[in-house]
Amino acid sequence: MTQLEVKNLKKYFMTPAGSLHAVDDVSFTVEKGKTLGVVGESGCGKSTLGRAILALNEATGGQVLFEGTDVTHPRGSVRKKMKREMQIIFQDPYSSLDSRMSVQELIAEPLNITGIVKGRENVRRRVLELMDTVGLASRYRLSYPHELDGGRRQRIGIARALAVEPKFIVCDEPVSALDVSIQAQILNLMADLQKERGLTYIFITHNLSVVKHISDDILVMYCGCLAEKCECDDLFEHPLHPYTKGLLSAIPIPNLHYKRERTLLEGEIVSPVNPAPGCRFATRCPHACDKCRAEQPAGREVMPGHFVACHRAEEINGL
Amino acid sequence: MNGVSLSVEEGETLGLVGETGAGKTTTALGVLGLIQCPPGEYVRGEVLYKGKDLRKTPEREMRQIRGAEISMIFQDPMTALNPVMTVGEQIAEAIRLHEDCTAAEAEKKMIAMLEKVRIPAGRADDYPHQFSGGMKQRVVIAMALSCNPNLIIADEPTTALDVTIQAQVLDMIGRLRKESGTSMLLITHDLGVVAESCQKAAIMYAGQIVESGTVEDIFDRTAHPYTQGLFNSIPSLDKKLERLRPIRGQMPDPTRLPAGCEFAPRCPYADEQCVKEKPGMVELSPGHFCRCHHAGKGAPLYFPDERVNELAYDHGLPVSNPGNNILGKEAGQ
Repeated sequence: MTQLEVKNLKKYFMTPAGSLHAVDDVSFTVEKGKTLGVVGESGCGKSTLGRAILALNEATGGQVLFEGTDVTHPRGSVRKKMKREMQIIFQDPYSSLDSRMSVQELIAEPLNITGIVKGRENVRRRVLELMDTVGLASRYRLSYPHELDGGRRQRIGIARALAVEPKFIVCDEPVSALDVSIQAQILNLMADLQKERGLTYIFITHNLSVVKHISDDILVMYCGCLAEKCECDDLFEHPLHPYTKGLLSAIPIPNLHYKRERTLLEGEIVSPVNPAPGCRFATRCPHACDKCRAEQPAGREVMPGHFVACHRAEEINGL
Repeated sequence: MNGVSLSVEEGETLGLVGETGAGKTTTALGVLGLIQCPPGEYVRGEVLYKGKDLRKTPEREMRQIRGAEISMIFQDPMTALNPVMTVGEQIAEAIRLHEDCTAAEAEKKMIAMLEKVRIPAGRADDYPHQFSGGMKQRVVIAMALSCNPNLIIADEPTTALDVTIQAQVLDMIGRLRKESGTSMLLITHDLGVVAESCQKAAIMYAGQIVESGTVEDIFDRTAHPYTQGLFNSIPSLDKKLERLRPIRGQMPDPTRLPAGCEFAPRCPYADEQCVKEKPGMVELSPGHFCRCHHAGKGAPLYFPDERVNELAYDHGLPVSNPGNNILGKEAGQ
């Protein structure tokens, strides 16, 4: 069942230098209970995409449908319902928590705002339940965020998101600020919660091995646009977009016997402010032709379930 | 830092790996004598560079060695550069401080360095904020290499960069290093980077080296439980795993280290001896060292299955009390 449908979503920011196209015409769907991984380099619009879906930054154009309801510009009762069903876990556990609130107050805040649990004693009990769910010992109940390490702080962020029993969570780089051993603990916790509660995730990250581990489908973004979207294994085995190929070959792999061809991408990401017509990747693409520089490619279903935004996808992959 | 011994041979790259707070950067600063004392204090030990002890070298002489003989690439290119000087001036300054040359010669050399790191000479008069992160890091590299050092200490040179830019920068460091035969101490937390650019590696935990050897020793004949735990924590790109096998708990507080092995509270193999007694370095094969009581006694390479199940429900245990670790949940629930 399709739970979330995003149609031609656009988010532009007006800056002194011009219009910044953070998300430009992105469309995709997410199935219930699945995880869509969103990958891309810093500044490619991954986080803005997540925030636009939740209407934290309202979209400039396009549509977001959640279980058939339009939540692009939610108002009134739709907004209230949406805020309970769709949640977010923020990237930085160091700045996303109010440093003057204790763990108990932080986790109780969403319960009190939505009013789903009433009575002081019930709230207290629910907070302890949530702390148990995310693996925080109850003795940290009265601690403040600065007294806890990054892993525990991120667990508070997860407990806050889970407090209102959402169906859908945008996870915006939830493990990027953590060390690998702690990162693995949090990833296991998130996988367990998904299995238990049938949650749907959009998992935003720049770490490709993390995204491979956790996702069912992957969306690769480049400079605000969709580059490629397909099933997770398909992406790693048969990447079709030249950017995806470069990205995959750039990841250092901790295995001395893993041999692969290296395609080093030259140059850097172009500015998303008043972008020139044509494919955003053309400046770095080894296959760019005149058409690429003149006309922006749209996402096409090149193989069943495999979407690529590249004029020459068939040609360069011998399809 | 506690009893760290390392050696880098000429022309070789050593990868120093560890998590945040393991003491990697402190090691690097210690080599160059850049630790602020107080609060820092060099308690014991020596830093031998070409047989000469840098700890006994007077500060005047050290200034000549830093930059010219041993230079450092800092982690964060956004803060390592002076925002009110053009990048050209900054590189030329390093050259003029260490080499006996005129301003014009320094400028010429500065331009050659910029071109080596593929920055057009025309941008020498730009300020750091006009460059992207990857370009800034290349400026820092140009500065570090400008006096042809014999040893480069690179402290997480690519951590702040995106993967495609990281690949470019690592490629460039590798190429320049090969051209000039420079040795390098590469500090990183990314085992993938070590696999790709180092010949030797040392794993650091709580201020100590726990395992060191060639990259083959570390990657294919992993001996220390912490190193194994690190490998098990990384999601793999070439295998599909249902669950990760994280190391339980957290690194101990450096002001309150455990009495025995520093890793014992988190270690699946820890026994009474580990809790009581600090292990020494054991040489498992020539050049492959491991700081573990169980090393070389046929400890299995991976955690056995029942241990894995136990770890699966681990939600971050306190490290202060090893006895609680068996319970699978934090104390005080």
